[in-house]
Order: sequence, then structure tokens, then C-alpha cells
Amino acid sequence: MVNHDCTCKDNPLVPQLCKVIKITQETPDVQTYRVQTLDGKRPFTPMPGQLGMFSLLGVGEAMFSVTAYGEDWIETSIKKTGMLTDAFHEMAEGQQIGVRGPYGNHFPVDPCKGKDLLFIGGGIGLAPVRSFIRYAFAHRADYGKIDILYGSRSPADLVFKEDLFDNWPKEPDTAVHVTVDRGDETWEGNVGMVPGYLEELAFQPVNRKVILCGPPIMIKFTLQSLLKMGFSKEDCITTLEMRMKCGIGKCGRCNIGSKFVCLDGPVFTMAELDELPDEM
Amino acid sequence: MQLKRENLIPALRLLAAQGEILVPTAVDEKVSKFAPWDGSSAPDLALVNTTLPPKDTLFPHQEGMYRYKTAGEPSLEEIVEAPARILFGVRPCDARSIDCMDKVFLGDKYEDAFYARRRANVTVIAHTCAQTGPTCFCDSMGLSPAEAPSADLLLSDTETGWLVTAQTEKGEAVAALWKDLTAEGGEAAPAPACTLKTNMSDALAGTLVSRFEDPIWDEVCHACLGCGTCTYLCPTCYCFDINHEDHGGEGTQFRCWDSCMFSDYTRMAGGHNPRPSKKERLRNRYLHKLAYFKERYGQILCVGCGRCVGHCPSHLDITAFIDKAAERFGEGK
Amino acid sequence: MSDIQSALRETAKKLLTEGTVTCVIGWGETRFPDKTTPIFVKTPEDAEKLVWNAHCVCGLAKYMLDNRCPEGKLAICVRGCDSRAVNRIVEDKQYKREDLYLIGLPCEGKDAPICATCTHRNPVVYDVLLGGPVPEIEVSQEDRFQAVTALEGLTPAEQYDYWQKQFSKCIHCYACRNACPACNCTECYADQYRVGWQGKQIDKAENQVYGLTRAFHVGDRCIECGECERVCPMGLPIMSQTRKILKDINDLWGNYECGLTDSRPHILGEFDLSDRDDFM
Repeated sequence: MVNHDCTCKDNPLVPQLCKVIKITQETPDVQTYRVQTLDGKRPFTPMPGQLGMFSLLGVGEAMFSVTAYGEDWIETSIKKTGMLTDAFHEMAEGQQIGVRGPYGNHFPVDPCKGKDLLFIGGGIGLAPVRSFIRYAFAHRADYGKIDILYGSRSPADLVFKEDLFDNWPKEPDTAVHVTVDRGDETWEGNVGMVPGYLEELAFQPVNRKVILCGPPIMIKFTLQSLLKMGFSKEDCITTLEMRMKCGIGKCGRCNIGSKFVCLDGPVFTMAELDELPDEM
Repeated sequence: MQLKRENLIPALRLLAAQGEILVPTAVDEKVSKFAPWDGSSAPDLALVNTTLPPKDTLFPHQEGMYRYKTAGEPSLEEIVEAPARILFGVRPCDARSIDCMDKVFLGDKYEDAFYARRRANVTVIAHTCAQTGPTCFCDSMGLSPAEAPSADLLLSDTETGWLVTAQTEKGEAVAALWKDLTAEGGEAAPAPACTLKTNMSDALAGTLVSRFEDPIWDEVCHACLGCGTCTYLCPTCYCFDINHEDHGGEGTQFRCWDSCMFSDYTRMAGGHNPRPSKKERLRNRYLHKLAYFKERYGQILCVGCGRCVGHCPSHLDITAFIDKAAERFGEGK
Repeated sequence: MSDIQSALRETAKKLLTEGTVTCVIGWGETRFPDKTTPIFVKTPEDAEKLVWNAHCVCGLAKYMLDNRCPEGKLAICVRGCDSRAVNRIVEDKQYKREDLYLIGLPCEGKDAPICATCTHRNPVVYDVLLGGPVPEIEVSQEDRFQAVTALEGLTPAEQYDYWQKQFSKCIHCYACRNACPACNCTECYADQYRVGWQGKQIDKAENQVYGLTRAFHVGDRCIECGECERVCPMGLPIMSQTRKILKDINDLWGNYECGLTDSRPHILGEFDLSDRDDFM
């Protein structure tokens, strides 16, 4: 049985009450929530890529990637896409929410040891990637050169700006490459889609793992570019999204073939995805 | 040991002290289900099969998970409910279905606490089939109408009553309780054969997954109306939804049966649906039953009870599908 | 009957051979002698699979909604009830009459209880009629509303108890809705869970909400095919609800039947200053 941190230690379906201690407005429609238990502790200790079930009592519950954690908090970033996420965006700091988890598998942090890492994020897809980026920096000696390639629709849609422009570029042997589909009068960085910029940057497919998350269309074309550049599908790692309710492989709906995304995922290599039915 | 027919009511009365007894019951002329024993009449053990399976005893159609308060100081309180119950007269197919649900809810990395608590307090007394119904096909799915290996206790028909075979500790306890009501002797009647047959095989299970894009899925889905009858009457369908009932400031989080045949089941918040039409949904249901579950848990998720065949509004028939696929893909037994 | 079955197969074969239609919806055999299933014939050879017998009970019109934007003409076998169902759907502007080819099949009643009170055994609309018209049976208004009248004879308390007991059996499978030709919304209110019109709870309140909403939504558009009641696995007397509404309309506005080619527009969907208001 897997360990989990919930209100009831023997019941993974009952959340613990936590409080939102900090809200960061990332973009007009993305917010990051820093959450801790009512007695000031970290709700649980996730591995990079793992999921948490976050609930607003009386409104609903949904699964989100846990994008970061600290000594006494975890963070998740939520984009407005419907009724529940709209309600999340109306929260104020101090509000209590339900949290259960962590769920699912995680990025292969051990098999990636000793390798160069190329993180690629598109839009809100940087959220799951961020957890591994932070982990890699926390275990800096375990990994080689780190490149972070991030693209969003416009400068206003860039998430984790503090990380992208202040924190991460200061890390040793690290390069951050940011691109937007359409610039504006103040934007001085690269303009163009992720796949094109990726090819321009000409990363070598030698001793390098790629961690890739973003909207399906971006994944599709970025993967084509990566394959063209000589990367293998085994070396390209991504996360999947499906509708989830229980988070523990019981309620049925997030299956792709015999795999449950909440339990066996969300992290898969592109080679593993090829083995699954095409139903995503 | 044999329990004579005239001793059934006394036996049930003894059992009633251990918990609520649920027996096959005709609710009205159209519907039957496992309902509390009335305490005096002999259960109708000839019902093949009850319209509703006994699964709701372990996995209620709707089940409270926790109560919450949002007004004032927010709070959560887990709902714990696990009444002592005895399922009496469960057919071999339904007994196997409980085995399937155990695999899901009691294992595979997490234990489901709601199910586990109920399960621990339920005793399953199975009853062999003296006769089968027109849509029964359990013997094509690796079961026998005369056996229910995962039941706590098995009652096998004899000419004058039932042979009593305890199969677990819980079963031993029941047998001990009945010790003064049972006697040596009696011979189990031969098992009847199902009249409906289908050509399911391990090889076909594997082939079906590899034929994910085959036109056969288009062909079989047409007549489907996309209702939830097959899934809700199925003894092994265990999918659920989690939802809440809010009364302003307080409420209850509950789970309830859900159906993979409904569009909302997989539709994501942004509107994308990986299984957008009845073709994808029916394909997923059939593959889950016949292949995916076996890949994951080692057995088929269809026990051949025939409820879906008997109650489908469009008369879709999973046995006809299996045989069509076996013939087309050359994977007969 | 076998003559008509031969004629049906010939007609289907001809329509498909000549390319008049791309598909013929009719009935085909199952493994059970007393059951048929809707089949979708797309090649002239498969026309041999069509059957016409006492067990052709499944309504067929609903299936045209599986493809609301057809590329070719669709042929449907229509009994009296199916023809009225087609009129229902065409009148509700969910399908164009010119995209349909209706194979009319006069019907002497099938293996379904509703057929005893059928007022239109001959199709009311068709492109070809196979076999001569059958004599209509005399169905008095008393016969038509017999089940309703019996319930009206109960005291309000008894009626409430009766419906409580019936509704308590509902399992929300939505077979009644999915089989109903009048239920032709592209998205049913009951499926809009996130809006919350219909709760998923299986309890007195939600079961009643569904039962009553369904009844009122289809009540004045019901073509009395009885599919809702036939398909209900829990044996709810659904037609008694719908026919109660039809009976009241009958009492208030005179004899009212839907799905006839010259039907009045659905009566609860229109407003007129001369409408009765003595109950207000």
C-alpha cells in the first residue's frame, strides 16, 4: 500500500483541511497557491510530477500538479477553465481548502542522474515541469547541464516569471530560453513557436533527457522536432491529463487502456505512450 | 453437511442475530434485488437473476464519504458505515463479481477504506444454480453454475435441501451456528449448463486490444443508445463519481455509481473529451470487461450473469460481440 | 409478414445499389428468437439481414440523431410510431425531412404492451409503403388514458405514495431519455452536472426532479411510442406520467396528438392571449 497524507490516515479519499498562505497572480488566468496545514506544516512531500487533489468544500475537487514545495508548504498553479477553477481564482489568502495526495508516479529523477536535462514547457505546462526543475537545482550535483525552454502565447501569458527571469538563470550551468508566439512593444526576447526555437537552439541528443509538458498540439509538433534532431522517444518524458475523481485508481475514468493516469501516470515516456491505445 | 429445506427458516433466524440478512426479493412484477429478509418467508432462490446485482451491499449506489462545514470554522468528518450483513442466496456469477470488486477496492496500491470496512462485515452465502436463465453464460467465462470458490459459504442444491460447504473462516462460523440444523447425507444435484454460449478466450482478449482501430467497434456501437442500463445492472461495474450535496455552509461529500457510457464521465473541464462518442465509450466498456481488467488484475471483468444481455433497450449482446470478434480475428477457443 | 420482409429487403437493396441512401436503419436478428435489434445496413448484400416480425419493438427514429450532419440520405424503416417520431424530430428542427427516405411499414402491433393503445398503426409519413394499410384499431380516450384515470382515482396521499415508490426505484440510467424521440436536445439538462440542474444523488428529491422534469419537457411533444416505459430496467410506469400531461391537455384544449404531419405546434411551447387562465 502506498503512503498518503490525509485527514484520516487509513482513508485516501478524505482530504485534510489546509490554508492558502500565499496567492501569486501569474497571468490574467493563472494563479499559484501556496498551501500549508492548519498547524503550519507541509501537507505532504511530493516527488516531482506528482499530483494533489485540491478541493473547495461545497464547490468541487480537482487534480493538479504540485509544482513546488518548501519546508512547510506546497504549491499548485491553476488556470481558469471552468466553474471550479473560477472559484479557486476567487479565493483570498487565508482561505481553507481540502488537500489530499500525493498521487501518481513521478518524473524519473534517478534514471536522469548524470544526464543533461532539457526542460520544455508550453503555457501552463510549465507547472509540472517546474517541480522537476526545482528538484534538479536542489540536487544540482546529480545532473549535468540544464536547459529550460519555455513558450507562451504572449508576454502576458508567461507563468513563473520570477523563476524564469530571476531565479533560474542564476543557477550554475543553466540556460533559460523563453519565447512567445506573439510579442508586444516591450518584449525583447525571442518570438516564435517552441518547435522552431527548439531546432534553432540545436540541442545535441547526446546524454540528454527531455522533459516536455504543454498543450497537446504543442507536444505533437515539439516531439516531431525532437525526433528530427535525433532524440529517441525513450528519452522524451511527458505528463498526461485526464478527468479524475478519486486519484487512487478506483473510480475508473482516467484509464488509457489498462493504465490509470492517476495511478500509473501522469508521467510517461513518449515510447510508453506509443504502447497505449490512442485515446487521449 | 446438509441443511434440509424445512430447516431454512430456522437457519435464517439463527443467522439474523449476526446481522441483517439480504435475500433475493421480487420488489414488484418487474424488478428484483437483494433486500432485507422479512423474517418469516422462504427466500425466492429461483430468481435468475435478480434485476439488480448484490453489489450495492458493498458499494452502495450512493455513499456518504464525509460531512463538511464551511461556515464559521471549517471542518471535515469522515462518515463510517459498515453494518454487519449477510448476503444470502448469491449466485456463483455474483459471488465472482464480489471477487472482482475486491481486487479493485482492496488492492492495487491503495485500499479503499469505505469498501474495505463494509466488506469486512459482509458474509457471502452463495447458492448453486439449479437452473439457469436464458441469458446466463457464466460457464463460457470460466465459471461454473455449481461453484462459488470466493463465497464464504456455498449451498449446493440436493433433492431435499442444500449441502453446506464452508469455504472461509466466516463460512465456518455460519456452519457452526447451523450445526444443530444440519445432518450428514445428501448429494449435490449435477450442475446445469448455460444455454447461451460464447467463444471467449485469453487469445481473444489480447487480440481485441491490438484491434483498437478495427471497424468492428463502429459496427457494434450503432444500436447502442448510450444509456447506463448495462453498467448499472452489471455486478462488476464499479466506476463511481464523487460529488457533494451542499446545504449552504455545510454539506456532504458522497460518491455514487457512474457509467462509462455517459459523455460526462470523461469530459474534462476545458471541454475536451477523450471518448467523445458512443463508439469510444462502448469500445472502452467492452475492452475493460474483456481485456484491460485482465491485464491489470488477472481475470475477466465479465461473470456471464447475462443482465446486460437481458435488459439492454436495444438488445445489444456482449456474447454476440465476442463471437463476432473471435470469428473475425480467428481467435476461437 | 414474410412477403413484407422480402419487399423490405428488396427495397433496401435497391436504395443502396442505386445510391439513393447511404444507410438503411431497420431490425435484424439476435441470438434470441423473441428479440430483434436495430441494424444499420450499408451494403446491398447486407439488406438480407433485415427482418420484419412481431419482435421489431425497438424505436428507430432516435438513431438519426447520431449523425446530425449527414453526408447522404438515410433510410429508416417506419411503423406508425416511428413515423410520428420522425415527424417529432423534424418538427423540432433536429433533422431535415429531405435527408430521409422513409420505408413505411404498416404494423399490426408488436410484442409490446403499448401497442394495445396504438392509434396510428399505419405510418403517417413515408416515401414508400410496403404492403397495404392495416385497419386501425378503435382506441377510445378511456382506453388511451386508462392507467392515468386509475391513478387519478386515488387520493392525493395515495398518489404521492405510489409515485414515491416508483421514483425510489429509478437508478438514473437515462434509458428512458435516450430512447425517447422527443428527448432530442444536443445536450440534456441532466448531463450538465457542472451547472448542477440535476444532482447525481439517487434519492427521493433528485429522482423526482429528474422524473418530473423529463415528463414536463416531453409531455406536450410525446408521440406515445412507449419506448421510455419499455426500456426502463426498473419498470417505472413512465407513460402514465407523460399521458397524464397529454390527458390534461386533452381536457383543456381538445383531442391532442403529436407527431402527426398536421399536428399543432407543441401546445405548452406557445402562448396566446386567449389562453385559459381561470386556474391562476
